[in-house]
This record gives sequence, structure tokens and C-alpha cells, in this order.
Amino acid sequence: MRWDIFCRVVDNYGDIGVTWRLARQLVAEQGAKVRLWVDDLAALARICPQADVDSDCQLLSGVEVRYWAQAWQAVEPADVVIEAFACELPTEYVAAMAAREAPVLWLNLEYLSAESWVEGCHGLPSMQGNGLQKFFFFPGFTAGTGGLLRESGLLAARDRLQGGAGARIEFLGSLVISPVAGARLISLFAYENAALAGWLDALAGADTPTHLLVPEGRILGDLQRWAGSPLMLGEVMQRGALSVQLLPFMQQEQYDALLWCCDLNLVRGEDSFVRAQWAARPLVWHIYPQQEGAHWEKLEAFMALYCQGLSSEAEAALRAVWRAWNAGEGMAPAWAAWLQCADELVAHAHAWARRQAVYADLAAALVQFYRNWL
Amino acid sequence: MKTAQEMKPNSVALIDGQPWLIQKAEFTKSGRNSAIVKMKLKNLINGSKTETVYKADDKMEPVILERKEVNLSYISGEDYVFMDPEYNSYELRAEDLESVLPFIEEGMNDICEAVFFEGKVISVDLPTTIVRQLAYTEASARGDTSGKVMKPAKLNNGTEVKVADFCEIGDWIEIDTRTGEYKSRAKAPA
Repeated sequence: MRWDIFCRVVDNYGDIGVTWRLARQLVAEQGAKVRLWVDDLAALARICPQADVDSDCQLLSGVEVRYWAQAWQAVEPADVVIEAFACELPTEYVAAMAAREAPVLWLNLEYLSAESWVEGCHGLPSMQGNGLQKFFFFPGFTAGTGGLLRESGLLAARDRLQGGAGARIEFLGSLVISPVAGARLISLFAYENAALAGWLDALAGADTPTHLLVPEGRILGDLQRWAGSPLMLGEVMQRGALSVQLLPFMQQEQYDALLWCCDLNLVRGEDSFVRAQWAARPLVWHIYPQQEGAHWEKLEAFMALYCQGLSSEAEAALRAVWRAWNAGEGMAPAWAAWLQCADELVAHAHAWARRQAVYADLAAALVQFYRNWL
Repeated sequence: MKTAQEMKPNSVALIDGQPWLIQKAEFTKSGRNSAIVKMKLKNLINGSKTETVYKADDKMEPVILERKEVNLSYISGEDYVFMDPEYNSYELRAEDLESVLPFIEEGMNDICEAVFFEGKVISVDLPTTIVRQLAYTEASARGDTSGKVMKPAKLNNGTEVKVADFCEIGDWIEIDTRTGEYKSRAKAPA
């Protein structure tokens, strides 16, 4: 079973984050031979430091990583071809797919959404003008979708780390993090956000201490404006009850473990959003902003799904925080309500992760789709 | 060539040399400012049907279709018979009218367009705006007169629509057939 996965890095780390995880999982768990075509190796190198940005072809974690150059060099198409996030395949490659004697399964791996229309579109074909069919494959949160990326050992590894204080301290120590005693540990990974300063003020003025861990990213500018001075990597800045620590950009496994260690995770986009759900800890999602506010419907759709089973108070608190965070509005009142429901939100995050784990993971669902197609 | 987004219901696209009637097209924004169109297609050669998805900016080859003005003559079970000004009648099955069926009812006098492919009628288009009567709706719950508060209602043929809160049973309303949405209250057709 040979797979070609095409990834065009448009912005941020969602494209490469998802495809890199998927490629590795297909190799490790499904016995697939995978070529990952990436047009921006520097983006890969940020989450996989072993990657050589100057190499056109390299083997990383069993995945053959190929530089997707503008000038396409002819190759034999694989059995399964994934264009991630509707990236356009090279014309010559599509022609080679059409000419291949054994048929090729062509999949467009779509964006993650909780909207109800996803189930109606998942797995549908798209007739192309060359005798080929392309299938739309939608990840999602329900049985009628393609599921979420979840490696087979992920939840057990999470449970081991969360179950042992020593393991947690040891891991945090590896990132040079010494948790402030009695502090709420929060990770922050977000787009630029005008709501940040107000929320940090609320944390600084709170009775309970907070240790905020901020991996490098787009929120850094807002953070430094609030701090009033540049923050150095690893250094802990203190203001009132709030300690802020800037962390280097990290590998995916490290980031997963960081999420597992935190009491609350603020995440963004698609990849970190999914990983925060597997962390089984409360999360706040900064959704990718779209033209004409199209992202609001997607945010509301996910909240409607996620909030099932919450008390009306906790649901109102969660919705208020998520909406304020995404609108870049004052967080303080919503945050106060959130804290009132904190215990319920913790239990709910566990229950949500358990419910999601019942579904087939995305890689397994893709393989099953291929088998059914055969 | 047109984009998938530009292909409307009752248009025909040539795909792999086969003419496909677009019976239904639903536009949806997916992620990061991209969009998809889900379509119901009917093959005009062999009659097979399929559901399919396209990226909104995928290119499709439209087929130029002949059109003719017609009126609804009568409905007999699943058969819908239309007539042109020369008294030629055209019979269509309910399944051929999927995109407009919710707004077709006995006695309607809208000037429609029959759509032909190679001389054979394949569907009918309604005017963009039609006027229909409300057979049922609840009384106004909030007394809203702004038109912004909506409530469910049923047309004479049972089709459900959302109407302004101030609409009442027996009222005539304008509907946009492209979206199926209520536009305004209207006068009874002459």
C-alpha cells in the first residue's frame, strides 16, 4: 500500500502539522509506504528539527519526505493519493494517475468542521474531466465523518503522564519549566488576540496563582505589548498572581505532553485544537478567522456538539469565554463565570475525549475507505 | 468554462463527455476561506443519478440549453404537465423537478421556463420571485413588526418556509426561489 500525501503550506503550521502526523501514523500503524510532498521544508523543520531544509528527498520517521518543487519531476503515482486541504496536485501527476493501469484512489482531505453538512459530504465522489474520480474525505467528531487523528498509543501515554506527578515534573523539567507551587498551569497558543491583555490582567489580579506557558507563535506580539518589554525564552515574568514563561517552538510529541500537563489549554486552528481535545483537559479554541465571519458558524457548531451534557451554567460560561476570546473582547466577566464551573469543565473534557475515542481514528478510517474502494 | 459555484440547478455540465443535469447545488464554506458545492446530478443519457462534491472554483463545462416559456397545466400524482403558448404540453416527473418542486402547486400562474436538452424537456425553472399563500402559521408570539423575527409557516402545498413574525394565515408572501427564503408580504396575485 503506497501513499502520496501532498501538502502545500499556506500559513502557520496546520497544513504540515496534520499531514506530518498522518504520514507517520500510516507508516507506523498501517504498514503503508508514504511519500510526503511538502512545498515548504522550513515549516516541517520547525516541528521536526531533524528535517533537512535543503534535501529534496529524505527519510524521517519512516516517511519519505520529498520537496514539492514548482518544476515537477515525473514519478509513478502511488496507490492512494491525498491532496491535503484542497491543494492543487501537479497537472503532470494527475495525468500520470489517469494513465496508470491500476486505478488510483484520489482523496481530498478536507478541513475539520463540526457543522452538520459535513456528514452529508463525507466520502462523496467528485467526477473529474479525465476519467478520474476524487473523493472528499472530511475529518470530524461524529460517526458519519472520517474521525480525528489519534495515534494508537496516544491516550495510554497521556494517562501515564497525567497519572504520575513524577512523570509530569520530569517532563516539564525537560522544557525548563518549574511549575509555580499551587498555581494553575495554562498553555497559550493562539493567533493575535486583542482579548489577551484583559485576560492576563484578570489572571494577575486573581487570588489563585497562574503559571502561563506560551510556546512561540503569533500571540507573542500581544504578549510583549502587555508585558511592556521583550520576553526571553525560558525566562519567567511575574506580575501579581501571574507568571508568564515563553517556550521555544517544540516538536509535536513535546507539545502533546505539554497539553497533558496543563489544567487549561488555549489552542488555535486545527492541529493543536484536536490535540487539546485528546489531552482531556478544558480548552479554549481560537478558530481560524475567515472572510465574512464564516468561522463563527463553525465555532458555534462545535460548541453545540461539545457542550452536550454540560449544565446550563457551565455551557453558558464556556460559550461566553470562547466567544469573547474569538471576538477579541473583554474576557474578565466570562472568565469569572468559567472559574465557577471549573470542576465541571474538567470532568466534561474527560468525558468528551472518551466519547471521541470510540470512533475510528482518521488514519484507520482512510485505510478502511481505501479497502472499501478496492 | 464556469466554476462549480456558478453552475446553478437545472443547468447541464459536460463531464467526461456525458451530459449531467444539476438537480440541486448547495454551496458551503469549508475551511480557510475555501468552499465546496454539493450537487445532485442526473445523467441525461442513461438516467443514472449521483451525489457529488466539487471545490467551488473547480472548472466545469456548461452545455447551452434551449429554454421555452411554459405554464403549469395540471398535476396528476407524480406527473407535472406544463404547456407552452402554442399549447404544446410537456410532462415531467416529480423527481425531475427536485430543485423547484417545493414551490409548485396547483393553480399557480407563474411564467416558468422549460429546459430542453437535445429537444427533450429535462426540467423547469421558476421565476426568481414567486408569490404564494400561507396555509398555516402560528399567531404572532412577540408582536414583532420589524420583520426580523421569523417563525415557521406552511404553504398550500405543505412546503415549510420561515416567514416574518407578523404574517398570518391567508397572507400572500414573496419567496426567492434561489434560496427558498421569504422576502416580504405581498398582494394576492390578480
